[in-house]
Amino acid sequence: MLTDIILTLAGAFLVVIFSLIVAFFLLGVDRIVTARMQARIGPPLTQPFTDMRKLFTKENVVPANAIPWLFNLAPVVALASAITILLYIPIGGFPPVLSGGGDLILVMYLLTLPALALVAGGFSSGSPYATVGAQREMVTMIAYEFPLAVVIIAIAWKLAVSGVPLPFMLMSIQANPVWGLVGPLGIIGILILFFVLLIVTPAELSRIPFDTPEAETELAGGVLVEYSGKNLALFTLTQGVKTVVMASLMVALFIPYRLSALVPAPAILQPVLDLLFYLILVVLVAFVAVSLIRVSMARFRINQVVSVYWIYLSLIGIAGLLLVMADHFIGVV
Amino acid sequence: MNTETTKKSTPYTVPIGPVHPALKEPVMFTFQMEGEIVKSVDFAPGNTHRGIEWMGMRRNPVQIVHLTDRICGICGIVHSLSFARAVEQIAEIEVPPRADYIRTILHELERMQSHILWAGVAAHELGFDSLLYLSWRVREQSMDLIENLTGNRVNYGIVQVGGVRRDISDEQLPIIEQGLSYYRGLLDQMKTVFLDDSTIRMRCRDHGLLSYRDAQLLCAIGPTARASGVAMDVRHDYPYCAYGDLNVHPVIPPQEFGGPHGDVYDRIIVRLLELAQSIDIIQQCLDNMPAGEILWEKKIPKLLSVLKKAHGEAIGRVEAPRGECMHYVRMDGNDAPATWKVKASSYSNLMSWIPMLKGEQLADVPIIVASIDPCMSCTDRVTVIQNGSAADLTKEDLTRLSRDKTRRLSQC
Amino acid sequence: MARLPMMPELLRQLFRKPATNAFPARYLPPSVTKFLSSVAQGEAAINPPVPVPPKFRGKIAYDRESCIGCSLCLRVCPAHAIEFLPSTKRIRIYVTQCIFCSQCNDICPKGSLHMTPEFLLACEDRYAETQIVE
Repeated sequence: MLTDIILTLAGAFLVVIFSLIVAFFLLGVDRIVTARMQARIGPPLTQPFTDMRKLFTKENVVPANAIPWLFNLAPVVALASAITILLYIPIGGFPPVLSGGGDLILVMYLLTLPALALVAGGFSSGSPYATVGAQREMVTMIAYEFPLAVVIIAIAWKLAVSGVPLPFMLMSIQANPVWGLVGPLGIIGILILFFVLLIVTPAELSRIPFDTPEAETELAGGVLVEYSGKNLALFTLTQGVKTVVMASLMVALFIPYRLSALVPAPAILQPVLDLLFYLILVVLVAFVAVSLIRVSMARFRINQVVSVYWIYLSLIGIAGLLLVMADHFIGVV
Repeated sequence: MNTETTKKSTPYTVPIGPVHPALKEPVMFTFQMEGEIVKSVDFAPGNTHRGIEWMGMRRNPVQIVHLTDRICGICGIVHSLSFARAVEQIAEIEVPPRADYIRTILHELERMQSHILWAGVAAHELGFDSLLYLSWRVREQSMDLIENLTGNRVNYGIVQVGGVRRDISDEQLPIIEQGLSYYRGLLDQMKTVFLDDSTIRMRCRDHGLLSYRDAQLLCAIGPTARASGVAMDVRHDYPYCAYGDLNVHPVIPPQEFGGPHGDVYDRIIVRLLELAQSIDIIQQCLDNMPAGEILWEKKIPKLLSVLKKAHGEAIGRVEAPRGECMHYVRMDGNDAPATWKVKASSYSNLMSWIPMLKGEQLADVPIIVASIDPCMSCTDRVTVIQNGSAADLTKEDLTRLSRDKTRRLSQC
Repeated sequence: MARLPMMPELLRQLFRKPATNAFPARYLPPSVTKFLSSVAQGEAAINPPVPVPPKFRGKIAYDRESCIGCSLCLRVCPAHAIEFLPSTKRIRIYVTQCIFCSQCNDICPKGSLHMTPEFLLACEDRYAETQIVE
């Protein structure tokens, strides 16, 4: 029992360290790739780390009409909840640290926590920009939740009808890649679902075109406008960790393969290979979902965000779900 | 969504400015909001008043020409040309035809770089930074061309009272041709990335509307008025420099884009089409360029003494990239002009913000504000201070003040 | 269908050379002053700026010998950057005040004033030796 707890703690510690490193790495890669696409040189790979180090040395300014305890609590809650999600997601072929405790439904709930903390922080900072930003963050959250749920339910349903026990557990999804369970129609359906999850990610991460809550040109940073110093650093870290979370989630749901299963390698090298393969996948997924979408679109209005998610993406997602179902029933008949 | 319903009953205030990422130059906006919708809007310019006219009235016209370059960082030649034309009318100076053509070429090059700059800024206001980088990257070519022709990228210093200070040599002609063909090849790409993009269309079409009637009532000018279908262009209506010899027509949104709507999208269309028009005008100038002198009087001491003797008043009008720009100059036989008044193009366009912004979402404020291409440092010619803080003047105050000034001017 | 014409262009650009000119160095050095002093000592190399065209108007150059002290340049300098020194009948130009219009070059009857292509003039002291031409 005690050893279990110690092992879990050690695992959690390792995951936190690892995820922070990956977060910095992803943020750095994003900045370089974005810069290259815009014909700029971009900062060195270590720039996010440098920024963070600078932010941590800066003063924490709390505005006069803010609610200090909530204002200071929000970034801590955001980062803590973002890291907690990581403990439930398999990373690099390793089972999740808290594999026994939670499933995809829990992950979905946990995903709203950083956003809620952001909303609380925005409302408590007492600035009109932050208030408008917090309202928008809330609306965005409500908007993208449904397509996200459709994706998760579709995959879990497929696993359930294929006879996989505990279909909502990420480990069972990891063990049974969904591509292998469906016919050609289902593959199209799953591709559509993958696309939906790719489009949900920028909203989850508040990136252009769905960065309406922060909206630099109109709200000057929106929910984050009053944050500075360590608090801002914590929120930036949350952003990085959330990028890791979303990328890992996409990899876990749709590309749950291990390189060690395909390439013969000595047993000691296998985890290293898996980890490298995972990193490559995460960078690729993050490139499409974060960098590419971000640079090739204009920012949406908040009502457009809602209509994109509630109408277009929900319909696309449901179409994907129906295709997966149709594929299953055709297969059964 | 319930946040909107609770906010419905209580309009709240969102201040934007004087310094804000949505604004490239300082101006103070106050929005009364209901949810995300702008109910009413008020704005207060006057934050970049630098007293340039005051400085000018203590200098001679040759010095002022270089001062006018610095009124605005983008339309350098517009102000110096406008001022020079006013002084030339007072002193009855005839500008040599070659100088007129060189002025026209640079005037159009400036319009090109200004419109591309605006396109980049507009893209940035939409959150589309890649387009900002693309636009500003291709803008470099026109800046380099201007630098080659005048000796500086921004403060050209090319206009002199009675002509221009530098000739275009035969070696420079191929460089201009090369620049023009670069932009000709680029036009289609610019049109595609700005006008075919669904996200830009979603944000700009039918937003920031300025009706034909409002454009006329509020005396909007330049691309802002033309996007609303008002066919006016000083280059066409009141030709100056070489424009009388050239084929220039006001650009209004063509039928292929659904004719003039008067929205932000139309302002993008008008500016992109004017880019093509400018290339065409420069080509026409190069083809018809006459030989001859470039200055009415080469010896500047002699020019100064002529200008010192000049008496009278005149208005210089030019079509700036943003609309008509006017300089009123009055000379009374001294070194320095008795009065020098600058009416920049943005001054006439600012009021069209009010109908454009009413009923729009807060998210559209940056692009609508940017859509008239406001230049506050051109516009801000006055700031009112009473007892150490900014003060408001009523209509009656302004009428009284302007009557006083007219009396003062008619005495000198 | 949604059209995003920028996306292919951006993907192409990903594999092309960036347009930025890495002047003076590719990344901001930890200390700019140290970097500049090591450049002065020849230990580090500066990435060259974009070249200026011929007849560029940079820092002013003054030929003391040919000057006749007519002080015509003072009449046309918009920025009052030129000072007449009655004792030597020569002029002194404050580069920090100069606006690089080169109007004084045009009016000088002896051609004693010129514009050089030098434009890297930033300095911490506005009365430094490099900022005064006489």
